[in-house]
Amino acid sequence: MTTQNTESGPFSGVRVLELADEKGQWCGKLLGDLGADVIKIEPPDGEDTRTVGPFYKDVDDPERSLSFWHYNTSKRGVTLNLEADDGRALFRRLIATADVVLETFRPGYIASLGLGYDDLKKLNPSVIVCSLTPFGQTGPWRDFETSDLLHLAAGGQMGSCGYDDIPDAPPIAPGGGQAWHMGSHYACMAITAALIHRANSGLGQYIDVSVHESCALTTEGAMSAWIYTGKTMIRQTGRHAGVAPTPPTQTLCKDGKYVNIQLIAMRLPPRQLRSLAEWMDKYDMADDLMDEKYQDTAVIQQQADHISLTVRKFINNMTRDEVYRGAQELGFSWGAVRTHDELLDDGQLNDRGFWVRVDNPELGETFTYPGTSAIWSESPWQIARRAPLLGEHNQEIFCDELDLSQAELTALSENGVL
Amino acid sequence: MEKAMTQVGDSTTPKALAGIRVVDFTWVRAGPWATRWLGALGAEVIKVEWPLREFGRAGGPANTPPGIQPSLNTSGHFNDTNANKLSLSLNVRSPRGIEIIKKLISESDVVVENYSADVLESWGLGYEELKKLSPNIVYVSMSGFGHTGRDKHYTTFGPSAQALSGMTFASGLPNQPPAGWGWSYLDDTGGMYIAFYTMAAIFHRKMTGQGQHVDMGQMVMGATLNGPALLDMTINGRKSQREGYPSGNRAHWPGTPQLSNYRGQTVAPHNSYRTKGGDYNDWCTIACFSDQEWLNLVGLMGSPAWASNGKFATVQGRLQHQEELDQGIETWSLTLEKYELMKRCQASGVRAMPVQSNEDRAEHDPQLRERGMYQEVEHPVLGSWRVQNAPFKLSETPAVNHRHGPLIGQDNREILMGLLGMSQEELSSGYEDGTFWPKEMERYPYQEELIR
Repeated sequence: MTTQNTESGPFSGVRVLELADEKGQWCGKLLGDLGADVIKIEPPDGEDTRTVGPFYKDVDDPERSLSFWHYNTSKRGVTLNLEADDGRALFRRLIATADVVLETFRPGYIASLGLGYDDLKKLNPSVIVCSLTPFGQTGPWRDFETSDLLHLAAGGQMGSCGYDDIPDAPPIAPGGGQAWHMGSHYACMAITAALIHRANSGLGQYIDVSVHESCALTTEGAMSAWIYTGKTMIRQTGRHAGVAPTPPTQTLCKDGKYVNIQLIAMRLPPRQLRSLAEWMDKYDMADDLMDEKYQDTAVIQQQADHISLTVRKFINNMTRDEVYRGAQELGFSWGAVRTHDELLDDGQLNDRGFWVRVDNPELGETFTYPGTSAIWSESPWQIARRAPLLGEHNQEIFCDELDLSQAELTALSENGVL
Repeated sequence: MEKAMTQVGDSTTPKALAGIRVVDFTWVRAGPWATRWLGALGAEVIKVEWPLREFGRAGGPANTPPGIQPSLNTSGHFNDTNANKLSLSLNVRSPRGIEIIKKLISESDVVVENYSADVLESWGLGYEELKKLSPNIVYVSMSGFGHTGRDKHYTTFGPSAQALSGMTFASGLPNQPPAGWGWSYLDDTGGMYIAFYTMAAIFHRKMTGQGQHVDMGQMVMGATLNGPALLDMTINGRKSQREGYPSGNRAHWPGTPQLSNYRGQTVAPHNSYRTKGGDYNDWCTIACFSDQEWLNLVGLMGSPAWASNGKFATVQGRLQHQEELDQGIETWSLTLEKYELMKRCQASGVRAMPVQSNEDRAEHDPQLRERGMYQEVEHPVLGSWRVQNAPFKLSETPAVNHRHGPLIGQDNREILMGLLGMSQEELSSGYEDGTFWPKEMERYPYQEELIR
């Protein structure tokens, strides 16, 4: 590790070799945007993730995948054929410079190349190797093939998501590739813990992360509901699955948009119900909720259905943002159901500098990317560069750093090693 | 800093976060879920709580086991969410309480909280003050919208953060209201980020000697999880509200423009199918990412006439004729139980996994069982119960669930006398003046033991 520059992210000076497909590219991005020197190693014909849409101007091309662009910021990229002797030799030389190796190959593959953790630690005793795979390195399902959808099924996400007001609706897998996010988040945690241990002791270690376990761990109260009460979950539209039905919270507004309200009517404290009723009363829609009898928690509990219906009827007659902003100003944690487009104009995201501009010199354009969840006071997050072109940094890494000659580089390219 | 540390777990296994003390002001789910992992990795986590403002122990899905009289110490959900911590019951809003908490912070490395944006500031514990107490403190906060910006005073819980960040919208069937998320995904995920960022800031401090404030917003965090959809909007100008999106469990909804749904490759089959039994969770997902995988499935189904039709030979054909394709597959899937279907598919080179309920994961998933995902931990009131383990195995510094979720105020004596050097008299007087427990509230028997 080199000396840290305090103006860059917390992982400044940490080198990560990333051999990752869709399972691990988010982990590499999170580390890279936080300052790690992530070198993405792709097969000579490119990682399959370059073929995932959407594409820039909808033209299918390995350098135009917006998915690849998003998940591979701040990384440098080289090509290397690990199935060739010369490719493995170069990889072994790179290992000497690495702090972390992140790999998502099927279990046993990298060891079959002579590049497993036991081999790599002989070359670099303090190296941290993280394998992020669908089911981990052991167990009866370890060789099963999966996808985002399949993980959300087995992990329990679909068991809790769906509709209670559409007959015969299937369980629903939420969108956005979240299974890979969950696996990558836990991989980031584990790698960071290992980096701290290494800083303390000088010792590396091996990390075995399972996407399936990461998903199975990310269903909030569903597991404790089963373990402690023996109850399974009922899927409900736009709100928490429950062990028993609960009143709707996703409510249609007069502009055709939805707002998600937290109206646990039975447990609404009298003071809060009063402030809600006063707001509704300004529009003559409080019904009887201004009545003094509602200053009694027992009455609120008895009248929960009536209160819920009255509030939802009020919401039906307001625009979504009137409800969202009005409720927030009164201290209710309600949220507007927004489309992706609406985030671009969100004042709060803009105040936080959420959107960042990333140069793409080849296209001669600068594009707007989503930023980060946190503001770091001393080690700022940043997108250091756009996703690498295929083999973009072969020269920089193999010649400038590992001292290959130009002729050797050309020969390796021609022989399919790079 | 030389510190007396309380014993965390067994002493033989090295801990990644050994020697790190965390003052934990987190509540409800997201924050407590984060500090639980810091505890499993060896940090000494001191959860600061007050029984009159407690939402994790009594509110929400408490999941007290049947037959046990509910109290602040019987929530199964709390037990799982707050494993690996110590509990200090303390009224931070009293003059004596705030003095004690300041002393504790001055002996600590990390402060974590997920209150509304102005709460710690209002206690006189904003970042500037924390730095005075402990110069290199790592302070990680997660409020709904972050500590800066025009809406910083707004608040969220999981479902509203999911709604506001576009995540709810991206879950469901086309031409229907969003199905959204059936739990607080952004609480679980918020917990992961709090734990990850806390450790990243600890690492940074190790390398530079510098602490910092990491200011997270839950809604903002949700927005980062829509990446390719956001680039399709900012770069291609594509509207997210469009025909066929979101596309349910399919990669593409037939009869609509063929655009990415941001889940990966656009292929068919790619859906959930009913299986034998017909119960609520008798579903299996199947996806074929190549023509070969499709041919494998056709063979497995016994090469029915419909599937051998040339219109299904290519991915474009399968996408175009998806209704017929899915009906054909479901006719077959209904003849097999979901785990049997999975086994046969996987053995034949077809990707398939069952929809698993909470019961399925705990009782019927041989992979999770073999990997030791749920292991029993003894709780002083509840007895022995299965607690969720880490989804990562660190070979040298494993994450270990070494303790049950603490009883409220269970560790007051150890922290106040053992760590902060308080006398027996000071401890007793703090219970009498309402600093360590509300005067009007009856104490639990174990608290009497602490005072004696």
